[in-house]
Amino acid sequence: MDWKRFSFIAFIIAILFGTVVLVGYTSEPWILIVGSMMATTIAVATPLTLGALSGVFCERSGVVNIGIEGMMLASAFFGWLGSIYMNTIFGFGAMPSLLVGVLIAILTGGLFALLHAALSITYKVDQIIGGTVINILAVGITGFLNRQLFFDKNSIFQGNVPHAPGVLPVIVIPVKQGIEWICSLTGGTEGCYVTANAFGKVFEQKPIAIFAVIFVFVANYVIFNTRWGLRMRAVGEHPKAADTVGINVIRTRYLNVVIGGFFAGLAGAYFTLESVPSFEPLMTNGRGFISLAAMIFGNWTPIGAWAASLVFGASQALQINLQFFRTSIPPEWSFFQNSYAVGQIPYILTMIILTGIIGKTSAPAADGQPYEK
Amino acid sequence: MKKQYTLFAILLVVSMLLAACGAPAEKAADCKSEEVFCVGLVTDVGKIDDKSFNQSAWEGVKLAEKDLAATVQYIETTDAKDYDKNIATFGDAGYDVVVTVGFALGEATSKAAAAYPETSFIGVDQFLEAAAPNQAGLNFPEDQAGFLVGALAAQMSASKKIGGVFATDAVPPVWRFGEGYRAGIAYIDPALEVNIVYHNDVGFDKTFVDPEWGATTANSMVDKGVDVIFAGGGKTGNGAVIAAAQKGIYAIGVDTDQYYTIPEAQKMLLSSAMKLITPGVFDLVKAAKEGTMTSGNNFGSAGYAPFHDLDSKVPAEVKAKMEEIAKGLLDGSIKTNVAPVKP
Amino acid sequence: MSNSENNERWKSALKAVKDAILVPTLAIITAVIVGGLVIAVVGGDPFAAYAGLFQGAFGSVKAISETGVWATPYIFAGLAVALAFKGGLFNIGGEGQLALGATTSALVGYGLPLWLGYEPPMYIHLTLALGAGALVGFIWGAIPGALKAYTGAHEVINTIMMNYIALNVVSFLMNGPMKDHNPLNVIARTPLIAEGARIAPIFSGLRIHWGFGLALLAAFIVWWLLWKTTLGFEIRTVGANPDAAKYAGINVKKIMTLTMGLSGMLAGLAGSIEVTGLNYRHELGFSSGYGFDAIAIALLGKNHPVGVVLAAILFAAMRNGATRMQFLTQIPVDIISVIQALILLFVAADSIVRYIYRIKQSGEKVVLTRGWGG
Repeated sequence: MDWKRFSFIAFIIAILFGTVVLVGYTSEPWILIVGSMMATTIAVATPLTLGALSGVFCERSGVVNIGIEGMMLASAFFGWLGSIYMNTIFGFGAMPSLLVGVLIAILTGGLFALLHAALSITYKVDQIIGGTVINILAVGITGFLNRQLFFDKNSIFQGNVPHAPGVLPVIVIPVKQGIEWICSLTGGTEGCYVTANAFGKVFEQKPIAIFAVIFVFVANYVIFNTRWGLRMRAVGEHPKAADTVGINVIRTRYLNVVIGGFFAGLAGAYFTLESVPSFEPLMTNGRGFISLAAMIFGNWTPIGAWAASLVFGASQALQINLQFFRTSIPPEWSFFQNSYAVGQIPYILTMIILTGIIGKTSAPAADGQPYEK
Repeated sequence: MKKQYTLFAILLVVSMLLAACGAPAEKAADCKSEEVFCVGLVTDVGKIDDKSFNQSAWEGVKLAEKDLAATVQYIETTDAKDYDKNIATFGDAGYDVVVTVGFALGEATSKAAAAYPETSFIGVDQFLEAAAPNQAGLNFPEDQAGFLVGALAAQMSASKKIGGVFATDAVPPVWRFGEGYRAGIAYIDPALEVNIVYHNDVGFDKTFVDPEWGATTANSMVDKGVDVIFAGGGKTGNGAVIAAAQKGIYAIGVDTDQYYTIPEAQKMLLSSAMKLITPGVFDLVKAAKEGTMTSGNNFGSAGYAPFHDLDSKVPAEVKAKMEEIAKGLLDGSIKTNVAPVKP
Repeated sequence: MSNSENNERWKSALKAVKDAILVPTLAIITAVIVGGLVIAVVGGDPFAAYAGLFQGAFGSVKAISETGVWATPYIFAGLAVALAFKGGLFNIGGEGQLALGATTSALVGYGLPLWLGYEPPMYIHLTLALGAGALVGFIWGAIPGALKAYTGAHEVINTIMMNYIALNVVSFLMNGPMKDHNPLNVIARTPLIAEGARIAPIFSGLRIHWGFGLALLAAFIVWWLLWKTTLGFEIRTVGANPDAAKYAGINVKKIMTLTMGLSGMLAGLAGSIEVTGLNYRHELGFSSGYGFDAIAIALLGKNHPVGVVLAAILFAAMRNGATRMQFLTQIPVDIISVIQALILLFVAADSIVRYIYRIKQSGEKVVLTRGWGG
């Protein structure tokens, strides 16, 4: 494990959290601040984590993917559209509609990834350009269809946006009850119950957020401890050598890029099926690019990428929370309360990380190169 | 073989070009005649289906299509440099009324009003210093609407913690909603804890279309014990309204009565701070048709929406107080003290 | 020189031109046909749509002028991407460089007279305004270039990060220190720049301005730089093969930094020209996506300045004509993005086009960029 990088990431997150605690501790118990910061951080990090996982799968097998943004956007749209069709036109209940929506989102991600794979593996198009094609295509298709299907009077919904079937429900992992139980055993000070309350919130998450974290560890295991992962890394590092020992380079790359697409699709589902029940053109707002940065930040490892996504999440949580406590910030520091200033943190950190000052960042050796026998 | 394909392609292009040259512009032709009443709308750099002010203005124009038998059409602007061109497209086609939406189109509208004296221009959210005789600005006291729902939120909050989620403070109507809200809360009880967050940390173009951020911010407020959230600013605000309603706290919508535009939030939608763009636009279009449009600044109305599903939860004394405040704002005995623009 | 030799030379030159033009043209045609099918599938009339598009782009003198207005920044931004590609680098940061260039030019445009207390003569003021925008663009491009050259940090990620940083900085400036303080102004924009910092229109009554001429001049300079100077040779050598360039004694790190700097400068100028030639102020607005459009333009133009100019005019015609298309047919302007993505797809994956039209592969494939490892 790359301890230097992880301690750096932990240090950054601690600073971000500490800043808010320092500003807000007079008006709220620090443990509550930390709890709510953690909950926000995890939620914000969900699409970034999944996007970064998508990147890890593609790039570990040797295909650069800057089309994550477009894949997310397209999946968000088609997943949402699918759930509406199921719910409004075929008359399914909310829950089955949502699940079908998630499935369609994942498949959409896979389909766009297949296009990317075809472009970059079979047609040997420059992979960064292939990704750019996907980004522009996704913006055009979703914007065009969103308008044609919903706004136009002659459209299937007669210009009314139909009821979306809602969003996926919260799953409560009973951590709060657990801590409360410990509290009751140990005599139960008030502070103990406050802690239970604070951390309870962290474990009230929606399914995609929970799966994102599970997938991080699954992916990490798969990539570093299984035959599949070994082959994938071999293909990404030394396709020629992999070929000579009998690994089908083309097939391995195709499969992993499509799996990466599934993750991007799930990230897209987060936007329209878990976060809010509506689609807006361009709603992914560059998060695909951020997840790309998170992947590099995390040195092409799932756990590293997750940690980096948490940095991005924490910095957004910081911005939101600093605005809560704006009255506690002394006027001479008010510049830092300005979100334009705080908003730069993750971008600058990513650039610093890339320079290699904090541990060397090393891409898979054959990343971005088409394989020719 | 190869030649045939190339030939085929060339033929296609030629036929398209021919079609291009031969296409008649039927719609443009009839607007020039006296009998046909045509209304065009130019959006700011936003979409016609933004569920916010572009769309509200367009609905006003569509009312004119229904009630005044007008021919209506819209053009969406994709870049600020096209404002002039897009307005001129309607002017050249002989449209009788052109509605331009957003402050950013103010200068282009004034220029066009001089260039097309036969056309009436209506600028939504455009405060005019000097107006041509054929030009009207339509403005709204957003701070009063914000003030009203602020007072409502302050009276309905049990936890004494109140939240507000807004797109950006760089756009004055949004800022006036937000600061009016703050003033309204303070009017009821200055000691209440108020959390107001503006979404400034992304590009300006993203602030209105980020429902995910709106939802995350609202959730994070609920975690802090906030039990009423007023959200404003396009889809970012909608995200916050939906998230608040899902968490089971009171949500307050913006611009229109969002009971009808965000069905997902109906159960917990306490009210909406309304800025009545649709009737405002329609009234001006109608006046323009009848030749009674007053040039210069016109003011539309702002207010709060009915409580709908939650009507029974709002105590009678709160309702009375709200009416009293609304009256006070109208006659000027209560002032919001919100500047028109963020200082 | 014998006649037949001359003939041969002509033939090979013609063949080169045909190779350069044939595939992009077929790509455009294919994209237009597929786009038309998309329109038809959702119930629109593709012929009416394309007719409207064509009318809006070239149907009148005014329309042609507006196409030129759109083409001006596209040419600069397309050249920026193409120049970087020639040097083996991918500048995806045009958006940020453009925004900073525009902001800087606006600052010099309205601020210099205030600071000096008098209005400087036009040739000085305009030159300074454009120069400042170019300089800031240069710096903003050179930073990721230098990071790439000296630390190996990939320029794609760094330019994306620097886009965000630039947009945040610009937002901050436009909402604060540089905001137009006219009490009637309520949005994030700068004051108008002084008369002396403005580029004149070419014809009175039309909006097309001499910035378009500057764009063509820039295309010529880029061509001259790349193919007629030592620096250009070095840039192309580094782009083709950095290892070989190193053995040939070229300072690869310096050239990389310089290439990205020059690329950023061109993108910065795209913004500066918009401010000084057209808008006379910078206004915080919704980005029209010049950054991504520029990539498509550079690719469609095969990274050759002449190709870039033609591709930029095509894209400008589509963006400009879209208004009329929507006015006449109510088909959403987003279809333009679909068509552009398809063009890019068919240009990038030229084997698809070659397969459809049965054209043989000729000549070497050009390597544009490499993976992160570089």
